[in-house]
Amino acid sequence: MNYNDITRRYFCADERVGSLAGPDVMRGSAGSRAGGTWVQFDLEWRGDAGVSTGTRTGAAGRRIKDARFLAFGCPHTIAVAAWLVEHAVAEGYAGVGLPETVPLIARRFAVPIEKLGRLLLVEDAWLAATPESQGRAALP
Amino acid sequence: MNPVYLDYAATTPVDARVAARMADCLTQDGEFGNPGSTSHEFGDRARARVEAARVQVALGAGADPEDVIWTSGATESNNLALFGAAEYYRAQGRHLVTCRTEHKAVLDPCRELERRGWRVTYLVPDRSGMIEPGKLAEALRPDTVLVSIMHVNNEIGVIQDIAGLAAVCARHGAARLHVDAAQSVGKCAVDFTGCGADLMSLSAHKVYGPKGVGALLVSKRRSMHLAAQQFGGGQERYLRSGTLATHQVVGMGAAFELATSDPQASAAERQRVAALQARLWTGLERLGGVLRNGESAQGVPHILNLSFEDVEGESLLAAVRPDLAVSTGSACASASNEASYVLRALGRDERLAESSLRLSIGRFTTEAEIDRAVDVLTRAVRRLRRLAGR
Repeated sequence: MNYNDITRRYFCADERVGSLAGPDVMRGSAGSRAGGTWVQFDLEWRGDAGVSTGTRTGAAGRRIKDARFLAFGCPHTIAVAAWLVEHAVAEGYAGVGLPETVPLIARRFAVPIEKLGRLLLVEDAWLAATPESQGRAALP
Repeated sequence: MNPVYLDYAATTPVDARVAARMADCLTQDGEFGNPGSTSHEFGDRARARVEAARVQVALGAGADPEDVIWTSGATESNNLALFGAAEYYRAQGRHLVTCRTEHKAVLDPCRELERRGWRVTYLVPDRSGMIEPGKLAEALRPDTVLVSIMHVNNEIGVIQDIAGLAAVCARHGAARLHVDAAQSVGKCAVDFTGCGADLMSLSAHKVYGPKGVGALLVSKRRSMHLAAQQFGGGQERYLRSGTLATHQVVGMGAAFELATSDPQASAAERQRVAALQARLWTGLERLGGVLRNGESAQGVPHILNLSFEDVEGESLLAAVRPDLAVSTGSACASASNEASYVLRALGRDERLAESSLRLSIGRFTTEAEIDRAVDVLTRAVRRLRRLAGR
């Protein structure tokens, strides 16, 4: 199979492979190795003023400070996961969903249509590592 | 630096000595004549080269020269064998037997025959890839006219007991045996006449000959008959019409001669390749979680098929691609991007079947290349396992 340049580059990017620990780290995963695709994100969230996520009351104001990923899957899955964490940290991403929509990511990485389900697993893992998904945004 | 080529089971480079003999048959100064032309010397000289190649191929495969029918390759040979025998013997019965781990060039014609009304039994090999002769005996029916079993499996390298299977067919009486031996010549002993087969498919490009030429051995001694599938000139005993490509045929003859004419040299080469395979396996075994497919059966030394635990197959292939030329299975089936049906038939689960690589060694492989392959694969597997949290 042929891969485009960005897929080849991020498939080989190891800078943010691994996991994080700490009170502001939220972990989300989706898929299974037995099923052929598994992705895990550790996202470290901080508020704008450096206040940890657990003391904030809403989505507004929190940003991604650091991120790591693990992935078992095809080169597209690995590359997209690597790109997401790099992009989110570099931008200090503050949004609720993925930094970019699945269709745009699919186009950026030239993901074949039969693999789009794997991108949805990447999205599920990402969303599972957000304060909204873990119910922590409502903490006092 | 070029990637290390470890895909000799897919194809081999043409040996320079073979290419030189082929070149002799192309230009005005060489044997460019039509070997079918009987009215002038140019045709006579080309025909002489074709007949000399026929003898070389026959000698290399343990056949009589008159058994050799030139084709465009093993796929055409398999098609001619299956469709030709099915049609010729259809009044005797419409049942065939083959194996689930055959090459697509046998399985697809079988499926087509099923669409045309024939019945096909697909034998399941044991976990090592072998077909027990007793299993074949159980599958034979009064209306069985043909059995098609490959000699050396193209994915895992297992060598079938062709003589044992031929004996079962002989006891049945009406079941003829076709053997796809595309991977065999030069890698293990091939004895068409001695093994008791009726038909055998051969390929040139797996043995340092050119692509686009092969042969079907049709046993005259055993009075094997086929219905022609191609018409127009009556060449090759009326079984395969068409002007012969002298240079291709000469190339196949030269390749077979180089691979088989000196038994001592052939044995030494097999030993050298076996030592390289052992070096490769020893190096990769250290990784842990590496399984050999088809290990317990007798196999050819040039194919090593491995499954890597906790590694996704497509990513493994992508990771090694800049440095290694390997395959996930048959090159002819790799476009489908599915887990190997051969490994699935052996009982490997889908994940392990998907994470398999076929590493095939050849005449030009060196120790340094094997060491580089071990290094590249070790780094790739370790990285992908780390990525997967393993």
